[in-house]
Amino acid sequence: MTVKTIHYLAIALLAAAVCSCQKDPSTSSLHRDYLVYTDHDTKADFAAFETFYVPDSILIIGDNKQTLYWKDEKAQEIVATVVAKMQNAGFTRTEDKAAANLGMQLSYVERETYFVGYNNPYWWWYYPYYWTPGYWGDWLGWHYPYRVYYGYTAGSLLIEMLDLQAPQTEGKRLPVVWDTFIGGLLTSNESLNQQRTIEAIEQAFAQSPYLK
Amino acid sequence: MKSTKHIRVVALCALLLAAALPGKAQIFPNSYINIDWQMNVPLGNSFADKASGWGMNFEGGYRITPAVAVGPFVSYHTNLQNIDRQTLILNNGSALTTNQKHAVFQLPFGVTGRYSWCNNSVLQPYIGLKLGASYSEFSSYYYVIKQYDDSWGFYMSPELGVSIFPNPTYRFGLHLALYYSYATNSGSLLTYKINNLSNFGVRVGISF
Repeated sequence: MTVKTIHYLAIALLAAAVCSCQKDPSTSSLHRDYLVYTDHDTKADFAAFETFYVPDSILIIGDNKQTLYWKDEKAQEIVATVVAKMQNAGFTRTEDKAAANLGMQLSYVERETYFVGYNNPYWWWYYPYYWTPGYWGDWLGWHYPYRVYYGYTAGSLLIEMLDLQAPQTEGKRLPVVWDTFIGGLLTSNESLNQQRTIEAIEQAFAQSPYLK
Repeated sequence: MKSTKHIRVVALCALLLAAALPGKAQIFPNSYINIDWQMNVPLGNSFADKASGWGMNFEGGYRITPAVAVGPFVSYHTNLQNIDRQTLILNNGSALTTNQKHAVFQLPFGVTGRYSWCNNSVLQPYIGLKLGASYSEFSSYYYVIKQYDDSWGFYMSPELGVSIFPNPTYRFGLHLALYYSYATNSGSLLTYKINNLSNFGVRVGISF
């Protein structure tokens, strides 16, 4: 081996040093699967709840400040999956919102990116008449009895379970006793998106055995 | 990261100096400098246990006797691992189902010493020991999130190697080494706990 060859090796090593410092992995393959996060109020007695109410549509969160609903067949399949899982867990669906023990609200983040923190006001507060505390009863704002830090990005589905038995006297807030955040639902294949969404909802209930 | 930028500057300066003075017997009298690429294999580490070549080692030494040299070193390495989708039961009743990519970044630095034989021949074998501190960062990448924990620990690494000088009068040659390393770094992330880091590896580089 000549000194010239070793010089070439030295240059190659320099290139390696420049390229290989702290290596971040490629994250492209992470988007080939969904993410399901669930959390709940550990003080909630889910056995004490009997009935639940689910609206027939899903709120779409996008860059449009108008309230948009998702009501087509795919939305109905998603709502039906939630209903089936709630019934499997022992709850009974009711069409009477005022009489329900629990309220289920489904929201799909289509475009915007939001961040929700424990002390932050509820981010879709300004969406009129839908998924606001006023839609469910006479509450002043929301209340998470547990720590919440989420980043909501495009292609996310949110399902929240509300305790409609909570006191509605002046100044009281409506508590969220269970929620799930489902991410990674956007691909170029629409049927795959729907299949992923259904699987992810089933997973959300599977990893929440305390609901039974 | 600031430290890795400094390493790059030092490496560049050292290489340019070496390239500019190929005919000189030794750039620094009674001393040596090694710049190595390294392949690192984690041992007994379940967080990111795949071997990788994402690392470098830089060291120098002053010969206090013809056979014994002492000097500083710094190296860095990243090991990665893919984690298939799994459900993690987190604290306070929450649960997370996701696939992940794990990464362990190690940055040890300190003092290195070596004892060598055949110091005027083409092949110059040696045994060495590195002692110092080590910074480690344990990261989990999932969805659009990077979550990490980091720590400092004590670092120790015995080494067996050989310097190869095709023309000993030029004092510019190759370097090969096998090493084992142990660091007391620990961390916790999601449901994972890491206690101590052990590695085995190979270094290939230049010596002058």
